[in-house]
Amino acid sequence: MAGDDNKEDDKGKIDRRDVLLGLSTVPALGLFGYAWSRQRGYEQKQKQAASAATVRKDVAPVNVALLGAGAQGQVLVDSMLRIPGLRFRAVCDIWKEYNQKRVVNTFKKFKHEVSAYEDHREMLDKEKELDAVVIATPDFWHATHTVDCLKAGKHVYCEKEMSNTLEGARSMVTAARETGKLLQIGHQRRSHPRYRHCYEKLLQEAKLLGRIVTVNGQWNRAVSPDIGWPERYAIPPDRLKQYGFKSMEQFRNWRWYRGLGGGPIVDLGSHQIDIYNWFLGTAPSHVMASGGLDYHDAKTHEWYDTVMAVYEYKTPTGTVRAYYQTQTTNGSQGYFENFMGDQGTLVISESEANNPGSLYRDPNAPAWDEWVQKGYVAAPNLQEVKQKDEQAVLDVRESVSPDLHRVPVVLRDPYHQPHLQNFFDAVRGEATLNCPAEVGFESAVTVLKVNEAIDAKQQVSFRPEDFKV
Amino acid sequence: MDIEEGRLTRLQMTTIVVLRVMIGWHFLYEGLAKLAKPDWSAAGFLKQARGPLASLFHGMAADPNLLEIVNPLNKWGLTLIGLGLILGCFTRTAAASGILIVLLYYLCNPPFVGYFYSIPTEGSYLVVNKNLVELAALAVVLVTGSGRAAGLDRIIHRLLRRRPRPAEAASQVEVSTQGS
Repeated sequence: MAGDDNKEDDKGKIDRRDVLLGLSTVPALGLFGYAWSRQRGYEQKQKQAASAATVRKDVAPVNVALLGAGAQGQVLVDSMLRIPGLRFRAVCDIWKEYNQKRVVNTFKKFKHEVSAYEDHREMLDKEKELDAVVIATPDFWHATHTVDCLKAGKHVYCEKEMSNTLEGARSMVTAARETGKLLQIGHQRRSHPRYRHCYEKLLQEAKLLGRIVTVNGQWNRAVSPDIGWPERYAIPPDRLKQYGFKSMEQFRNWRWYRGLGGGPIVDLGSHQIDIYNWFLGTAPSHVMASGGLDYHDAKTHEWYDTVMAVYEYKTPTGTVRAYYQTQTTNGSQGYFENFMGDQGTLVISESEANNPGSLYRDPNAPAWDEWVQKGYVAAPNLQEVKQKDEQAVLDVRESVSPDLHRVPVVLRDPYHQPHLQNFFDAVRGEATLNCPAEVGFESAVTVLKVNEAIDAKQQVSFRPEDFKV
Repeated sequence: MDIEEGRLTRLQMTTIVVLRVMIGWHFLYEGLAKLAKPDWSAAGFLKQARGPLASLFHGMAADPNLLEIVNPLNKWGLTLIGLGLILGCFTRTAAASGILIVLLYYLCNPPFVGYFYSIPTEGSYLVVNKNLVELAALAVVLVTGSGRAAGLDRIIHRLLRRRPRPAEAASQVEVSTQGS
């Protein structure tokens, strides 16, 4: 400060004034520390409050292993860490250098002592006390992993798609039946409270849509670069080969390769087409589809990047036609399912941002006052009546705009949490699975047939026995 | 301020020290908040880059090898710069690094005419935004070297600099008035 530099000749000596001025801003750091600890405490409390709804003290502990610690494995871990009563014991992943380490560290941070494995058989041999295994490996590994775990006496939660082949999926159903162990397939919308509300209350009980005649849905996703990896963490080629991958590129982008995954129709469409089957109460009778690898580089992509499919369902109330599209070049309007009946329309999406659940009551439908009073649907937002200008001519072909109601159910937890909760409740014998093996199989048959229909370039039929094991 | 002598009054220097500590506080929290989130990555921020250097930032976001370096550099950089500024420790290095890092943020999302961002900002900006203001404030910290007035630099400075030989002593007095 002013006059501080008068003692230039005293260099190397530190007096009291130097120490005081030198340390004068340290209290600011102390103040920061105090504010930081308050902020951390607040964040911690917020986190606890968010999971408070599911906290129960009387739950029996379940010993869990994670098989497949990639991006989807991480999503499931984030959800599972919010579920009380789980003890994580093991993580198995072939990418020891990266993903395995990351998830092990996450578990350690939450005070779970986990062992890490590369080979799932070794894990099953050593981890005798495991109750359940959560599987999030690439699709072509699902059957082997699931069957081995079931046969080792573990309950299994396996990500969708159940398998990339029907034989694989069938072997999983059989193994679940033979071992008597639980097998939940990760079609997580089956446990989503908004979807359950729509199915149980709005469709089954109130029948708000009347007779459903058409369905359409989509998952549009913007172009994204192929998934990369840090060079220094690359898996050695012989280990990749041992586990069925030709290269690191293939390991990271397996969803695009034949024999490993099923492409966007399976990755994305499978979730939503599963909802078609569920809400319509039956599996389809026919499908025709068009698709191709129209946009992406055929050197690093094998499955179709663009697919449009039309299903035909024979329901007890009549025929339903259901359209589905997925494309990976433009993410406009995201993803949703849209059910249209003669009395109303339901648009629903897992993502509240895409659609929070919208119901449109057709003007000819009976009043929904009863359902509004019961809290099944929110009071309507009356569609804005536009001022008619002089030029406007009322066209007799136009229908009156329907009222818009919202579905009053909101999920504040991560998308996968309710489905995992349902699985662990079932493991404890307190619930039945929302998506058991048979349901997952029906969905796999429905979806895998689309790729078959594209290849055949013609309408393909389903036989009722196709859906049975 | 007496420009001739390059000296600041006590009040002027105190104000600059307060400014330095506040910028340091901001940096430190930005750094620690990111360090506290193990999954944090700059990729999202970089992906929505606009402006003349957008392709450079997009390239960074798409390259996992580069992100391996950029992410820790950003997190630890912010934290260390924050500590440096609060404590007045290596103040000029901290201020210069801070300027560099904020300049990158600014260039990633420049509020130039006709650019719109999906991340909402709390105010209205035209060319100058708070990043640029913080950058200018850091420039003040850089040129005034307030760490030697109030900060650990004062102690470090005295400890590290050898005793000037009598012949040098006279010239040193002049030099030191320029920026201490």
